Amino acid sequence: MSESLWNRCLRVLESELPERQFNTWVRPLQALERDGELHLLAPNRYVVEWLNQNSLARINELVSSFGDGLARSVVLDVGTRAPPVASVPASVAVTPKPKRAEAVVLGSRINPEFTFDNFVEGKSNQLAKAAAIQVADNPGKAYNPLFIYGGVGLGKTHLMHAVANKIKTHSPGARLAYVHSERFVGDMVRALQHRTINEFKTAYRSLDALLIDDIQFFAGKEGSQEEFFHTFNALLEGQQQVIMTCDRYPKEVDGLEERLKSRFGWGLTVAVEPPELETCVAILMSKAAMAHTDLPEEVAFFIAKRIRSNVRELEGALRRVVANSHFTGRPITLEFAKDALKDLLALQEKLVTVENIQKTVAEYYKIRVADLLSKRRSRSIARPRQVAMALAKELTNHSLPEIGDAFGGRDHTTVMHACKRIKDLREVERRIGEDYMNLLRTLAG
Amino acid sequence: MRQLPLGVQLRTAAVFDNYYPGPNFEAVAAVRSQSPAPQWIWGAAATGKSHLLQSACAATAAPSAYVPLALDGCMPPEALEGFEQLALACIDDLDAIAGQPRWERALFALFNAAAESGTRLLFAARATPAALRWSLPDWASRAASCGVYQLRVLDDAERIEALRMRANRRGLELPLETAEYLLKRMPRDQQALFDLVDTLDEAALVAQRRLTVPFVRAALNLV
Repeated sequence: MSESLWNRCLRVLESELPERQFNTWVRPLQALERDGELHLLAPNRYVVEWLNQNSLARINELVSSFGDGLARSVVLDVGTRAPPVASVPASVAVTPKPKRAEAVVLGSRINPEFTFDNFVEGKSNQLAKAAAIQVADNPGKAYNPLFIYGGVGLGKTHLMHAVANKIKTHSPGARLAYVHSERFVGDMVRALQHRTINEFKTAYRSLDALLIDDIQFFAGKEGSQEEFFHTFNALLEGQQQVIMTCDRYPKEVDGLEERLKSRFGWGLTVAVEPPELETCVAILMSKAAMAHTDLPEEVAFFIAKRIRSNVRELEGALRRVVANSHFTGRPITLEFAKDALKDLLALQEKLVTVENIQKTVAEYYKIRVADLLSKRRSRSIARPRQVAMALAKELTNHSLPEIGDAFGGRDHTTVMHACKRIKDLREVERRIGEDYMNLLRTLAG
Repeated sequence: MRQLPLGVQLRTAAVFDNYYPGPNFEAVAAVRSQSPAPQWIWGAAATGKSHLLQSACAATAAPSAYVPLALDGCMPPEALEGFEQLALACIDDLDAIAGQPRWERALFALFNAAAESGTRLLFAARATPAALRWSLPDWASRAASCGVYQLRVLDDAERIEALRMRANRRGLELPLETAEYLLKRMPRDQQALFDLVDTLDEAALVAQRRLTVPFVRAALNLV
């Protein structure tokens, strides 16, 4: 009944409002009839505000005119008809707020599809995988905390979920939570607003294992760091497992308290590196098998050779090939894949520009592109600048003077010196060698 | 005596039937497919990105949303909160916010929450995810995992075909020579193209004339 009443309103509003406004502000509403009132539930307060200012009066008119003589008032609020999938205090939901600690759902669903069986192992991630398996077999005892770090799209989150799934297989009753650190911060803020912080604390501290993703997002959030610090200590003292991921080594996260950085290193810290070609191929084959798609190995090699920056990008390319095969009903062959990916590959090739090298190097070393182009000579800037110059020489057809120009108008001899310096350092300093190879792999495959 | 047109018109709204797929059939198929995987369509201005995104909303019975980021400069990133409760969220003009950390964080949060709740995500921009200058690598890598489809600008032959398709759908015969005559005077985007056919349809009905070149020239005040 409420649906039909609301649907009738929707039809009129659709014809009256400009199409974009209707699609942006009216389509997201969910309708619910309760106690003689029509509840319109919006995803957030901005939708509510817009409707209050622009359309609520008209909606009230329509509801009155379609109301079969019954006086119905319209209540517009933030919320959802279905209970939220997972949230600590349901601040925006119409559903009742959880009152007891055990009713609090922490973080997000653990994805059953991320297991150790379908985690493709290669040189770049075997240590992290081995450590994660040990932790899953002996939670709270093997390595606590386990700190996994590395670039985006390299499988850190997959490993975390795999640990959780394995623990659940051994101990189905174990209390586990997988939480993205931004979610932890948001949930904590809501708990404070709704005065449920004690339930929040109790819920977190009574877990058997806490898996917290992307802890670099705690940077600069002192209040959340403080709470996390206490939760972390309580869990460690109780021999409850903590696993964290981060995009860099703990000591390198700016804006994180020293005491946290130091504690993060108490257990085991392992890195995941960008995958080498063979691992990329194996990942593609594994993902295709999961999608019940027959992917010839030569096609996997073709994709992996050209798109190597991270696993998610590989996944996007595979997705495109598989979808095209479904649309056209044609089998996936090398020719087919080349055709399906021709736009992406053409763009990928164009991406190896000096500009992109600068961007990638700056991201890798967590500095700004402007620093690379600046006159600064401190080693933390000068070394990445030299690496970027050497990469530009290796990966583009630009001349030394052109590369010098692109780096803040430097002389070609500076570029020559940089190339030689990096060549020498790669042989004697393992870290520089690894950085260079990682960047090369990211940029050119 | 002039005939008055009946007030019954084909919808000119953004729905899939009003879009001529032409060379972009794969992108259209992807958007129509209801696949839960996030998709990203990209192309030059007036290739129909907004049209397709809004068509996807119109084809979804459950609550959905279309958010054009370029149009509403005062909309804050928090306006994306709660979108994971919808069946479909379509975010347009991603290029307008590339490089803005707050927006990228909001998109990153939406992407993760949508993956968990099963909300379908459709994105549109003038460039591919890899070509935009993001500030948040976490979001950049997620954007890169979308199925990416390009929308190409129609060439002249395709524009004629699109025009005749629309005319045919309205029960009009648009002779090839008239279509060719219009070609140089036609706008490039499909919606404007279709509006032009609608105008001609009404004029032809009122005047009881066929769409000959002289009639079209007079009806559209073309010199």
